[in-house]
Amino acid sequence: MPESKPKKYGMAIDVRKCVGCMSCSVSCKMENGVSFGVFRSWVNMTEKGDFPAVKRFYQPRLCNHCEKAPCVAVCPVKATYKREDGVVLVDKEKCIGCGYCVVACPYNARYLSDTQKVADKCTLCDHRIDNGGEPACVKNCMGKSRIFGDLNDPNSRISQVIAKNPVQVINPHVGTKPQVYYIGADFNQKF
Amino acid sequence: MTSKGNSFSLSRRNFLKVSAAVSAGVGIGLGPSLLNLKKVSAAESEELANNLGNIEVKYTADVMCPSECGMEMWVQDGRIVKIYGNDSCPFNDGTCCAKGASGMQLVYSPERNKYPLIREGERGEGKFRRATWEEAIDYIGSKLTDIKKKYGAESVIMDAGDVTDRDHYYRVFHGYGTPNCVEHGSICDTPRRHGPKLMLGGKRIEPDVMRPLLVRQPDGSLKKDYTYYSKLIIYVGWNPFVATRINYESRGTVGAKVENGCKVIVVDPAHTNTASQADLWVPIRPGTDGDLFAAMLRYILENDDQYNPLRKYIDWSFKEFSVGWDEFEAEFKSWWSKIDPINGKPYFSLDWAADRTGLPSEQIQDIAHEYGLTKPAALVWGMQSPGHHYNGYPCSILGTALNIITGNMDVPGGAIDTELVKSDKGGKAKGSDFTKRKVKRLIDGQEVEAEIEYLHMDWYGDWPAAWDDVVGDYPRRFREGVNINYGPFKGYKYPIKGFMIRTGNPVMTGGNTNDWIDALTAKDGNGNYKVELVVNIDTLYLETGMYADVILPEASYAERMSLSDVYPSHQVLWMRDEVIKPLHESKAPTDIMNSIAKKLNKLGDSDLKGEDFWEKYKTQEDFVNEMLLPAPGRNHAGEPIPYPHLPLGYKLLGTPDSLEAGRVTIDHEKKVVQGEPVTAEWMRKNKGVAVWPMSWNRFKIFDKEEGKYVASKAVAKTSSKMFEFTFSGYNKYNKLIDETGIIPRGLKEIGYERYPNTFYWFETKWNPYTNKEYAKYKDEYPFQLICGRVHHAMTGTQMVPWLSETPVEGTWMPLNDAFKHKIIDPNAKGELEEVEKEFKAGTFCVGTIAINASDAETMGLKTGDLVILENPLGSQEKGKVFVTEGMRPGTIKLGFGTGGRFSPGLGPTSKHKDYTPNHSGLVDPNAHSPIMGMPCYADMIVKVIKD
Repeated sequence: MPESKPKKYGMAIDVRKCVGCMSCSVSCKMENGVSFGVFRSWVNMTEKGDFPAVKRFYQPRLCNHCEKAPCVAVCPVKATYKREDGVVLVDKEKCIGCGYCVVACPYNARYLSDTQKVADKCTLCDHRIDNGGEPACVKNCMGKSRIFGDLNDPNSRISQVIAKNPVQVINPHVGTKPQVYYIGADFNQKF
Repeated sequence: MTSKGNSFSLSRRNFLKVSAAVSAGVGIGLGPSLLNLKKVSAAESEELANNLGNIEVKYTADVMCPSECGMEMWVQDGRIVKIYGNDSCPFNDGTCCAKGASGMQLVYSPERNKYPLIREGERGEGKFRRATWEEAIDYIGSKLTDIKKKYGAESVIMDAGDVTDRDHYYRVFHGYGTPNCVEHGSICDTPRRHGPKLMLGGKRIEPDVMRPLLVRQPDGSLKKDYTYYSKLIIYVGWNPFVATRINYESRGTVGAKVENGCKVIVVDPAHTNTASQADLWVPIRPGTDGDLFAAMLRYILENDDQYNPLRKYIDWSFKEFSVGWDEFEAEFKSWWSKIDPINGKPYFSLDWAADRTGLPSEQIQDIAHEYGLTKPAALVWGMQSPGHHYNGYPCSILGTALNIITGNMDVPGGAIDTELVKSDKGGKAKGSDFTKRKVKRLIDGQEVEAEIEYLHMDWYGDWPAAWDDVVGDYPRRFREGVNINYGPFKGYKYPIKGFMIRTGNPVMTGGNTNDWIDALTAKDGNGNYKVELVVNIDTLYLETGMYADVILPEASYAERMSLSDVYPSHQVLWMRDEVIKPLHESKAPTDIMNSIAKKLNKLGDSDLKGEDFWEKYKTQEDFVNEMLLPAPGRNHAGEPIPYPHLPLGYKLLGTPDSLEAGRVTIDHEKKVVQGEPVTAEWMRKNKGVAVWPMSWNRFKIFDKEEGKYVASKAVAKTSSKMFEFTFSGYNKYNKLIDETGIIPRGLKEIGYERYPNTFYWFETKWNPYTNKEYAKYKDEYPFQLICGRVHHAMTGTQMVPWLSETPVEGTWMPLNDAFKHKIIDPNAKGELEEVEKEFKAGTFCVGTIAINASDAETMGLKTGDLVILENPLGSQEKGKVFVTEGMRPGTIKLGFGTGGRFSPGLGPTSKHKDYTPNHSGLVDPNAHSPIMGMPCYADMIVKVIKD
């Protein structure tokens, strides 16, 4: 067998298929026991235009699992780390809850957990993906808008979809190389 | 271009962030994303659960909303720990909405009914004492026995409510001897189902977008088909992305759009979530969807040209499968020369429709042309249009006619009447046979003996054509009793003395709230409640429960067994399984049925026998097995032929595998193919789901001798078994009128003496723009009031905190005042537990008043301002406005059941009752749609008073 590349996990979100149902937000809370008032996964909405030429836009969000993740760089105790497969995680044993990473994240993806007193955020449902599953937000997505998979495998669905469609990432200019790709999104919207 | 748009950002830093949005282009030139090729199997999911530890995977059906999707629940140490969609269920294809995913917060809610309660204070005070089941059933049993002796069993109404698993309750009360066993469906959008029922024998026309479908391939194999064929879908007053009654319309609509270039048009006064992904939003004036349909039909008839490919709108082959088109067309055309008194324009002309709908005439013409030309297409209407209006009948009749004449019925990518093609179920379980028992009643000194069914309060009373009964008319029944006008018991009168209300919450959703409260608390001259017994059977403590004498805690949907009751594109059935044992002291419907039956028997009522109840149904599974017997129960029809080895036109019964393998017996006389019966055990072995093959063109069949398609007569449930443009469905009601000379109340209201034979038209109520009677209110009450389901906040699920964190469409927004409440929330270990929480203002979603931005500006209103809505009847509701460009000017929208919630069982949501509007508080208590008696939820006008 030819040597395969190491896995590199990411997500593609086809915004044309987002129905604004908030299943990703709530499925994530259900899956990961996220308490009231904070989100690991959420959907921004904005309304644009004057009646009747009005449009509502959705922007499903989660941690971008950036290749150059500033949260990893700023962590004073190396609690935040990037796995070989690209998943950015917080080691809750090591985390001292200083909040540097929360401030450093350009995507507002992190928060300090009230209940656990540590930094918290999307894990791409590492417990599920490490056992062959997909993240809960992908599993339950009502519009089948989300695809999770190995970006290094050219035959994976995510790679094929990214190859066949123009994709964007949020705020590429901050230079963190996000691994969540959007299809059909209108990024000129301010959310 | 300026923008007054709102942004909602849900990051941890800003729950609600309002900022100006900037203008932008829209992404173009994208290809199919192939997302529908994903094929995760339920088996893979089970493997994952195994890897994650000691987890048991259970397959069941949801009831967080009436979509009842196929669910996969993970159980650890007897507790539900995860909820996902079931990948084996093609209805939702593994998906699960926010509400479904939040189910644990309902199942483990501290606000649940935990044990039986008996009232101690007055009705409505909410004072109860804890009782044992024995005490509660004793109380109910002796009251029921007493009522039956004094007034007859028909004096008791069993309203089995808003969620499924009703058959048990029907059964025990049919057995008791009342024909008055009903459900919430009768107050939910009956006029929109009327057209399909009258013309096809069906109910719900939906687009062919459920994917995957199990389809017979040319090579004979069965395969999952993910291909979309739809080219145009028009949703009228139907918002499937939020009111997710039909789960597959979420992924299917965007799937057809992205994968197949399907165009989507949303016609709705409010810019709904569905409108957000549409190619065109058409903000029509409320209550004028029928006007739009009438103008579309007139335009299509006037401009159809079979020789011009750009004008070939009608597929005239429909006449092969129809009866009565010529009469329908003649009657429809007879209106063209009449002048509408409100605008002086000829009926159904483009100008007429433009004036009434408030849409540009060119836009109406474009929609008619696009719909006529684009095939396959589906015209779909819903709750928020004909469903909620006094005159929704002509609208749903016209919509059905449009789908038929354009050749879109049941073609791939077209429109499917899902009622006609879903699996049959239930069978004899609900005990309708008991209503064939004969009883004697004394009428004017004469003893009359006839079947119990002839005592039905609606069918032989004021509402003979109420196919789904008339729950919204109960307040009148409670106060005035029932007069039987027709049938053998004509002239018999009886009072309503018992009201069994199981789930549902009519005080908030059954019409005018105060009217219901008045009826439930009305007393006779002796100071006794007129309705002597009110029993509420529910998992949750809702407003109607506050008026009950006894509350019985019903097991939650995860703790009981039954079958889903939904609308897939073909025969698919899935089971609700007992995922965990009933919590607290709650009991499953089978047990409640048996306890009531046994008690009545013990008290001497021989109508309730062990052999029909507790000896027959020893377990929930026994009952479910009976319900499964008629499945799939549809006639073998369509293309590709589902089972090429079985005869067409025969009724199919039995498991998919037995039919596939030919393990069947065929009765050629009765035309029945009987395979191995579907059982609960079979369902469990098959991930809880039975899927029979899909086919299209089920209404027709190719006749080789004639060389053309003719009516299959296998699917339509009209008397001719064809599409009917002349309404034989009304014949039996007209016969009742002929026999007695008594014209039903509703018919009289609209000036008819008989139910019409074909096309008919009448105006709606409280609409100053279409009904001259109300034109005088236009200036003083400048807003039309509409309502719509907020999926996250239906009447029975607002105690779920996760759903209060996610705003919806402007009618469910974080506009709360600061408050404290104990909620169920994940702890440090991620496990749900009760915690006292402080909620800052602007962090918790509540019901709001959605209003157009220009209207708000004129009145000096901004989002969050408190206003009072007042209708011409003097009723008022208070609430906070949410200002949006996504509302038609002159229109206000409230969420259904989201405001003024005063039951403490609503948990945190009950804290907002004083500044959230109860839509039902503004409904006209005397407006019932004239054919089937549904409350006119969306026929009202209001003025806005700044608080």
